[in-house]
Amino acid sequence: MSVAVRVDREGDHASLVPTGPFDLAHTTAVAQAVKGTEARLSGCVSVDVDLAELDRIDGAGAVVLARFLDRLDADGRHARVVEDLNPEAARLIALYRERRADRPSQTHSISRLARIGALAARLPGKANEALDFGGRCAVALPKTAASPGSVDWRSLPRLMQEIGADALPVTSAANLLVGIIIGFLGVSQLGRFGAVAYVPELVVVAHFRELGPLVTAIVVAGRSGAGLASEIATMKVSEEIDALRSIGLEPIKWLVVPRCLALALTVPLLTWVGDVLALVGGLGATAVITHVTTRAYIQATVNAITAEHFLAGFVKSPFLGLAIGLIACGEGLLAQGGAAAVGTRTTTAVVLAIFGVIVISAMFTFFFALVGI
Amino acid sequence: MPLPKAHITVDNLSIGWGPRVLVEHVTFQVKRGTIFTILGGSGCGKSSLLRYLIGLEQPQAGRIDIEGVGEPHRYEGVPPFGVLFQSGALFSSMTLAENLALPLTTWTPLRGAIARELVQAKLDLVGLGPFADHLPGEISGGMKKRAGIARALILEPNLLFFDEPSAGLDPISAVELDQLVLTLSRDLGITIVIVTHELPSIFLVADHCIVLDKVAKGIVARGDPRKLRDGSEIPFVHNFFTRSSPGAPAKQGG
Repeated sequence: MSVAVRVDREGDHASLVPTGPFDLAHTTAVAQAVKGTEARLSGCVSVDVDLAELDRIDGAGAVVLARFLDRLDADGRHARVVEDLNPEAARLIALYRERRADRPSQTHSISRLARIGALAARLPGKANEALDFGGRCAVALPKTAASPGSVDWRSLPRLMQEIGADALPVTSAANLLVGIIIGFLGVSQLGRFGAVAYVPELVVVAHFRELGPLVTAIVVAGRSGAGLASEIATMKVSEEIDALRSIGLEPIKWLVVPRCLALALTVPLLTWVGDVLALVGGLGATAVITHVTTRAYIQATVNAITAEHFLAGFVKSPFLGLAIGLIACGEGLLAQGGAAAVGTRTTTAVVLAIFGVIVISAMFTFFFALVGI
Repeated sequence: MPLPKAHITVDNLSIGWGPRVLVEHVTFQVKRGTIFTILGGSGCGKSSLLRYLIGLEQPQAGRIDIEGVGEPHRYEGVPPFGVLFQSGALFSSMTLAENLALPLTTWTPLRGAIARELVQAKLDLVGLGPFADHLPGEISGGMKKRAGIARALILEPNLLFFDEPSAGLDPISAVELDQLVLTLSRDLGITIVIVTHELPSIFLVADHCIVLDKVAKGIVARGDPRKLRDGSEIPFVHNFFTRSSPGAPAKQGG
């Protein structure tokens, strides 16, 4: 039986007889039938709806009929359901009519310019959040020194394992490949001037001073930064952070300090291992495409390594690790809501951490250039 | 008057995790259009039993048969029943309206104004009409549960499963939710299976219940919960319904 609404007109009175299945599977047909009926009711002041010939009705069909009756009432027509012929259907329609809530006022669509403005208006708030978190961390440091028992030191070895040892394969691979890339580039560019002998020095200077700490920090920011941010954001949305506060533990000291410390300790170690592997990469690239012997390459590398080059990179690594920790933990602590907030904060943490380590690395480079190191 | 037909038949069912058996050789039926509650203390396996009833797990032994569905873990296609999980389990990145629209647009060709109208009607039904554009993180626990019920109803199922619907709610919200459950059963004719241990809810809404016991690993009582409260001679069942501890001293009258 197909969906239809029969209309019997008697002057300004109409009797409507819906027939067929008024259910979810036929909702489109039901809506079309009802819409077609509305067009045929012009001039009617009273409408009866006879449900006796309904084949089937569920919530979806009842909603369409309920809203149709609402519209008739709103137009000033007296709409009435003949209840005794199909009381179950009448009760269902009445339920959806009774439970119709007042609609909230429609939200205005926001123009692109207004959206840019809203984004700009949020910037001071974001800066305030960052400064507030930075300030609380700064306050936590002397407090931590004064009361070391308020920090979860037991988690430090585990964190160093997760952030450091577990990240070693990926940071090592990245540094090895970067060493190979510098080696190939050096051979191809310096070789044009017959200066292949300077490739080992190029690898040492470029990697020890700049690329080693930067590549390691970027990999750690992507891997461990995301892990830390999502861990703390999940703790925040599941009220574990509030639980920590409720038992008198300050989350900055209990969670942020050990994580930042673990990063500040492990990133320099990962950088050092990465530096060594980059030298191996540079050696491999040079030995494969030039006649430079391994012995000569190693000799030139040893001559090129100075405490200045080594320390210029090694000194900035803890700060890069610290920045990753602060950004990841800070973003995690700002999470509000549910699973979506965890994802959003993790993404923001990784983006900010990568950008942050590049900025900090550049600042160190400018500083060393200014003081002549 | 003919007896209502069985909507769910559970026959000699055993469930568990690996070697650990939670419930064994359980047999019961849920009649169409009734409110059926699965009761028991913590850890007796009632929430696990629910996971088997909704087809998330495959029984170790025995059989579950839902009329028109067959064995739930083998069923594929339009979800034949709605489920309210304990926390509401709303998708936190979506508004309430989007949460409800997801199954509707996945399983039906309905889009646009008609889909919005159906979604809004379901939210109105559970009293959340004005909150359609809110995210789950912006509403209370009780509202999340009601939104979960609205999502469970959106595909017009004739069978609903609720896991601890009124747990963690204030008494007024719990009663409101119980009234909603009664409305769904009486006005929409939906069969409802509820896992709970909230006694006021049980006495208010349940037509029939089974009581599971961790030690017995099965059903220790079944029937009308009000009659079990007043007349059961099984100590565990009596203690469960009267909230008394086996070793508690009798309260002195005054």
